[in-house]
Amino acid sequence: MVAENSTPHLHSAVEPKQTFRRALDMSIRAAMPSLFIMFSAILLSAPFGIPGQAQLQFGIAMCTVWFWAHSRPRSMPALAVFLCGLVVEIFSFGPPGTVLLSLLVIYGVAHHWRYGLSRLGFLIGWLIFSIFAIIASFFQWALVCLHAVALLSPAPGLFQAALTIGIYPSLTALFVWGRRTFANPDQA
Amino acid sequence: MLSIHARQVLAKAILPLLILLAVGLVLLGLVRRPAVDGVRLMATDFMAPAYHGLVWPQERAMVWLTDLRGATDLAKENSRLRDENRALRHWYDVAVALAAENGRLKNSLHWIPQTVPQYVTGRVTRDDGGPYSRAVLLDVGSGHQVRIGDVALDAAGLLGRVTEVGPHTVRVLMINDDASRIPVTLASSHGDAIMAGDDTAAPRLIFYPQDHHPVEGERVETRGQSTMPAGLPVGTVHYSAPNRPVVVPDADLDRLDIVRVFDYGDDDSQAPDAPGRVRVKKLPQNPLIGPLPFSWLPNLPDMPGRGGQ
Repeated sequence: MVAENSTPHLHSAVEPKQTFRRALDMSIRAAMPSLFIMFSAILLSAPFGIPGQAQLQFGIAMCTVWFWAHSRPRSMPALAVFLCGLVVEIFSFGPPGTVLLSLLVIYGVAHHWRYGLSRLGFLIGWLIFSIFAIIASFFQWALVCLHAVALLSPAPGLFQAALTIGIYPSLTALFVWGRRTFANPDQA
Repeated sequence: MLSIHARQVLAKAILPLLILLAVGLVLLGLVRRPAVDGVRLMATDFMAPAYHGLVWPQERAMVWLTDLRGATDLAKENSRLRDENRALRHWYDVAVALAAENGRLKNSLHWIPQTVPQYVTGRVTRDDGGPYSRAVLLDVGSGHQVRIGDVALDAAGLLGRVTEVGPHTVRVLMINDDASRIPVTLASSHGDAIMAGDDTAAPRLIFYPQDHHPVEGERVETRGQSTMPAGLPVGTVHYSAPNRPVVVPDADLDRLDIVRVFDYGDDDSQAPDAPGRVRVKKLPQNPLIGPLPFSWLPNLPDMPGRGGQ
């Protein structure tokens, strides 16, 4: 299944009338993945005291960018990824730029391989995502070590990677439902 | 409008361009970290009221839960509080007697009283840890006088020090952060040590005297240095493994709510100059220039090519 062709009436001859309200509805639906990343980044920066809050910020951003970049790239353009990355950077206190760079790299990979990924199936896609999640966490850990000029424990990075990989299936279920319903611009 | 070809080129070039910008941000973070953290602090300042609103339902739920738990075993709680009250009354009497004795002793020793530190109390706006650091942001309101290096304490003991100051918010680096190094004194063995955070709940003790190892269970207090006063309670020594003493902090680092930030002022006490450190007047570069100390010798004319030129 190629996700790009999931809406058969895309080029139908009978199109609803383009009103301002419909255009607004379409743009909000298209921006839903980016809004989801920004909203969760801001929400998770509040002091709830939930263990792994900061790691969840990173995990949610990574999963969202990966899914939408290969599933519906129109809803997740590169500029939106950059803006989302900036928001996550501002509302977290990790080494600057690492989340942004990781998001852009994973976007590049998912966008470039989108046709292959949509043929491969969920499990292989999850495995490839896991590899990139581990690489991104390792990169973050290496930068923190470089900044601290000391060899820090890699355990927090491994926890972050495990959390990112762990939440991917449940987020994918949410996104698959969203792609058909509330985040589908063609249903506006 | 751009042509189709130009738009294609732009679409292909935008991702590498954004990646370059991200790499630039990474480099900026390595070179000028305070600038990036300043922007983050501004964002938190802006969001502080929203954070209060977000956390409010959780706080209310916690209060209700505590009330509910208390209501279920009132009789047991009552008897426990009565016992605790009895013990506290005893300790109150002891404290009053000790305070009076302390006052008398200080009076007879002509003790110079220390200045009362200024402090502000703030609520924790946000846990600013992240995977590799332990820090919190405090909302201290506008018009505060908090400075970098001020000391943060909760009701029980030392929490950390202020590292960044914003208009309404200050960032406190906790004692268990990897970058935290606090000079401490061990109360019973009288040794000095450095308490080094390692991102775990209990910071390590390093650089303690090898002939006076820290004793299990002894009190750890701050050693007076720069803006950090002496004698602030930090925690107790515990050996997590042989030859690995750690400090179990008195402060509850995981559940922080109200935090006080103390300004003890600059430590402007300067040691007097030791005799060996008195500035020596510089001798003339060429000892032969100028009149010689021997009055019976004739003055030599200043000739080029003499030693030292």
